[in-house]
Amino acid sequence: MNIQNVNHLVQAYKVAPWRVQRQWIVNLLLAVLATAMVATLYLDVTSKAALAGREIQNLTAFITESQQRSGDLQTQLASLTSASVMEQRALDLGFRPVKSDEVEYLIVPGYVAPEPDILSSTSIPQLSALSIPPEYNESLFDWMDEKIVSSSRGR
Amino acid sequence: MRQQYALRTQLVMAVMGFVAFAIIFQIVRLQNSYVTPQIKANELNGRTELQTIFPDRGEIYDRKGHLLAGNKTVFEIGVDLTSVKYPETIASAVSSELGIDYSKILSDIHNPAEGVSYVVIADFVDLHKGERLKELKEKMKLDAKNGGIGDLTGLDFKAHPQRSYPENSLASNLIGFVNREGRGYFGIEEKYNDLLAGNPVKVLVPIDPNKAAEITHVPNGTTLILTINRDLQAAAEQILDDALKTYGAKGGTIVIMDPQTGELLTIASTPRMDLNQFWEYGTIYNNASDFNLAISTPYEPGSVLKILTMAAALDSGIVTPGTTYLDTGSILVGGAWIHNWDGKAWGVQDMTGCLQHSLNVCMATLSTQMEATRFYSYMSNFGLGHLTGVDLSGEAAGRLKTPGDSDWYPVDLGTNAFGQGVAVTPLQIMTAVSSVANHGRSVMPRTLYAMVRNERQYNTTTQIVGSPITEATADTLSEMLANSLEFEGSAALVPGYRLAGKTGTAEIPVNGFYDSTKTNASFLGWGPVDDPKFMIYVWLKEPSSSIWGSETAAPVFAQIAEKTVILLDIPPDNIRNQLVQK
Repeated sequence: MNIQNVNHLVQAYKVAPWRVQRQWIVNLLLAVLATAMVATLYLDVTSKAALAGREIQNLTAFITESQQRSGDLQTQLASLTSASVMEQRALDLGFRPVKSDEVEYLIVPGYVAPEPDILSSTSIPQLSALSIPPEYNESLFDWMDEKIVSSSRGR
Repeated sequence: MRQQYALRTQLVMAVMGFVAFAIIFQIVRLQNSYVTPQIKANELNGRTELQTIFPDRGEIYDRKGHLLAGNKTVFEIGVDLTSVKYPETIASAVSSELGIDYSKILSDIHNPAEGVSYVVIADFVDLHKGERLKELKEKMKLDAKNGGIGDLTGLDFKAHPQRSYPENSLASNLIGFVNREGRGYFGIEEKYNDLLAGNPVKVLVPIDPNKAAEITHVPNGTTLILTINRDLQAAAEQILDDALKTYGAKGGTIVIMDPQTGELLTIASTPRMDLNQFWEYGTIYNNASDFNLAISTPYEPGSVLKILTMAAALDSGIVTPGTTYLDTGSILVGGAWIHNWDGKAWGVQDMTGCLQHSLNVCMATLSTQMEATRFYSYMSNFGLGHLTGVDLSGEAAGRLKTPGDSDWYPVDLGTNAFGQGVAVTPLQIMTAVSSVANHGRSVMPRTLYAMVRNERQYNTTTQIVGSPITEATADTLSEMLANSLEFEGSAALVPGYRLAGKTGTAEIPVNGFYDSTKTNASFLGWGPVDDPKFMIYVWLKEPSSSIWGSETAAPVFAQIAEKTVILLDIPPDNIRNQLVQK
């Protein structure tokens, strides 16, 4: 078998119809595989985003419900400590209203009379939206931009 | 070899072809399924949902942080007609729990208005009753899964806030109330309705979780902190109620204000109502002006107004505290004789004596000496006939007749000087006299201490509305009034505290003539004189045990003044002076 025959065989192998068909099939399968991977990733990200969105919705509803419940309890507490109730409780415990000549005042150096008590506004609980990783709403370009900026700052 | 590859290739193609066929088949199947219209409908309409959001109405606190008006949760209970399965079961359960007529519920479910898919059965249902009904629904749902017959599917619960007043009738006259439509009436609730209101808002809420960020945020109403002191308010109301019984008065009011800042610490008025039962309003009050006598009911104040006449006379320089005059018991003004309250002549008196003995003739003499233009100019500068600007709904301006008015007569110059023929509200006279207590400067009365919105607190500030008299005049008059109380041995005095003040007894006109048996008894005083922390006005309507303010309103003033110094931690003058010296 000389070199010419070998080249002939190789050439015949390369142009064999079944081999061309197999290449097409493999390329097609690769394309399908790539599409499936992208679809899987897309599905994964969107499902996580949907879950996070659902969590926000639930927490928003929960906050509303909690605020209503809190207001409800606050009102109940105010009823239980209303002026008339507290006065009756004091009387039941044997106390009586003080008279002005029974009050003793002590001079305390440096004491400053208290200002009216003011409500400290209640802080609104943060939604767990802050715990959602940036991957759920960050594009590839945002991610690259962030990396570039952070690496440049690192220098 | 070639055949083997060809076979494999055909096999793969067959499998893929099958898969492709299956996908196409599924698409066609779904497109023609019986649920397709529903899915399409959901896709079009389900992205958003029309919801009614009930933001909480702002709360109202007193200056110490006690809740005066809050919100409680109640339920709107309705039936979703598209999903209801057992109307009879729903009617039976709701009827037994809420006491609503069974047949009416059933009729509402069976005969809804055209195009209606949701029927409200009951609203403002108590939280506990609503919770019990919800539990019953869950229990019946479980039972139905285990073979039970009937459930409450379709019964819907919507929680929303309702106004609640934990102190019931306390300070009702100044707080006002909110009806079920969420609108405030009277007092703070009406005046600050726009700030407080968390009105129900219909919004499109996205149900697509990917649009959760678009959920509409409806802010709650602004929280208000009042200048009112709850405990002092309760004490004032108690003392006022006792006074009405003791002196047989038909009504009354006690107002306490800080004369240096205008902060109203208390407004007690009769009658009061339980704000949680606002629908009783019509049975308690005949007129809207009866809701808060302190701001809505002008009346002739009588001798309390002598403070202003004397202030004007001193300020204009026609008299000094030591100026004397001969009281003959009567004076002719505008063709009519004016007499003293006892009809007697009091001889030579100085200006302190005029105040101490509350001499009408003296005051008429002063006003006529000042002449109408100057006298009414002072009265107008004191704010008579003008709104005080207090931040409460329903304030009346009163009436100060002046020369040129069709119903003004020359005799009015004399009678106005001692508080007859002029109509003022208690708050108006307090605002006017605050200039005497506050070194010549009048302050605007206010009930709002601060508001809290979006986690930020905004405090209100003192507003000086005018300086009708000089500081020297104000301080001089304060001394004169304090002295006159001490010389008189007034029932208004509180041991340990130097107070200034003046009684008032005004006859009430009936059918155009003054009835000497019907009076408005009042007392206006403040203290401590050298550093006033409170100004108290007491008004008793038609006391029957005595017509005189000195015998009815003055002792009431002493009671409430004593409570005030205790609750505001104001030490007696001797202790306070030691503090100042240190």
